[in-house]
Amino acid sequence: MSVLARVFEEHGIATVTIAMVREHAAKVKPPRALFVPFFFGFALGRPCDPEHQRQVLRSAFHLLKATEGPVLEDFPDDSSPAIMPQASQVDADAEQAKRSAADEVTALRAFYERWLDNHGGRTAVGLCGIPQRRFRGVIRFLEACATGDDAADMDERPDGVSRPQFIRYCVDDLKAFYYEARMEQHQDADEDSLHRWFWGSTAAGKLVADLAATLNQSEDPVLRGAAYGLAR
Amino acid sequence: MPRLETLSELQRRTLEFFPCLEHDDTPWVALDKPLSKCKVALVTSAGLHLRDDQPFTRDTPGGESTYRLIPSDCDPSDVVQSHFSIGFDHTGIYRDLNVTFPVDRLRELKDRGDIGSLSDNYYSFMGALRDASTVINETGPEVACLMKAEGVEVVLLTPT
Repeated sequence: MSVLARVFEEHGIATVTIAMVREHAAKVKPPRALFVPFFFGFALGRPCDPEHQRQVLRSAFHLLKATEGPVLEDFPDDSSPAIMPQASQVDADAEQAKRSAADEVTALRAFYERWLDNHGGRTAVGLCGIPQRRFRGVIRFLEACATGDDAADMDERPDGVSRPQFIRYCVDDLKAFYYEARMEQHQDADEDSLHRWFWGSTAAGKLVADLAATLNQSEDPVLRGAAYGLAR
Repeated sequence: MPRLETLSELQRRTLEFFPCLEHDDTPWVALDKPLSKCKVALVTSAGLHLRDDQPFTRDTPGGESTYRLIPSDCDPSDVVQSHFSIGFDHTGIYRDLNVTFPVDRLRELKDRGDIGSLSDNYYSFMGALRDASTVINETGPEVACLMKAEGVEVVLLTPT
């Protein structure tokens, strides 16, 4: 972000940057930057808290009053750091290995659709192009990939999207489907409990972790690249 | 981001050794009027795009340096994210797009008169690029020219 701020300013447009890594902003020197002490993914602080987000924006726009730069100020907030556990850091519960991801998808569908109804249709699902009502097919595809079947594919994979890239889109959609359904089911669930539920209790979490492990063992560097970040 | 000293050694070293550019000075545009008279645009590096637009991809060597246009009057339900960084928590944006891409908050500020007007178009890039040269030399200036042509005077930049 900071490099873009410099580019825009060089073209005559004043900029205000929200910075997540103070040390990087201090090096790149965007003209005006507000460092926020929130975890990656929470640039404006707390989700669904408009007043808190407005405070961040007011602090950012306040930097426009400076008469010279670079300006790097800290947003005052005592939020403790959020920790995002990855799959390998979560203990599986005793039942996880016995569960079926395809059955989970069917069971979670009602919660996911209620999430859509309650959020004006807003959903992070939508990268792979396959409607959620056909996610059992996505599960079968990912299960085949996790066993090392390099020929496994889906007719729905768009032209121009590589198979490794398509695997990533499928996994991202599956995660979003599970998390949104869970957030509808347990509306007070915090981030940590959501991650621990997905990686430690669901068959889909185990499937994604197994898939990442398989891809990481591939001799194909592109497939190994697709594994990057799957299991977190 | 929490301060580096609060992170694990692995996280801290990853961020410390990220190849970000280092500068001695900064470009500067003096803003000669209040925000309430300015046209504002939003630019993000969160890898966002419209649902029917081309997702960002890992297939480009060195990172994805293209950008996507998102109309400022977009329906938030039409915006999705295909960011490939492993280091951020998606649950925030699952709950509320505004935590990364504050479309509703900017509309409120405009309606209250705190912002003069909003640009017709916002822009989205992929962040966490290890090689930003194409963004600096090509796509960034391209977006700057598009915003200049629209009369944008202030840009708010948000990461993920």
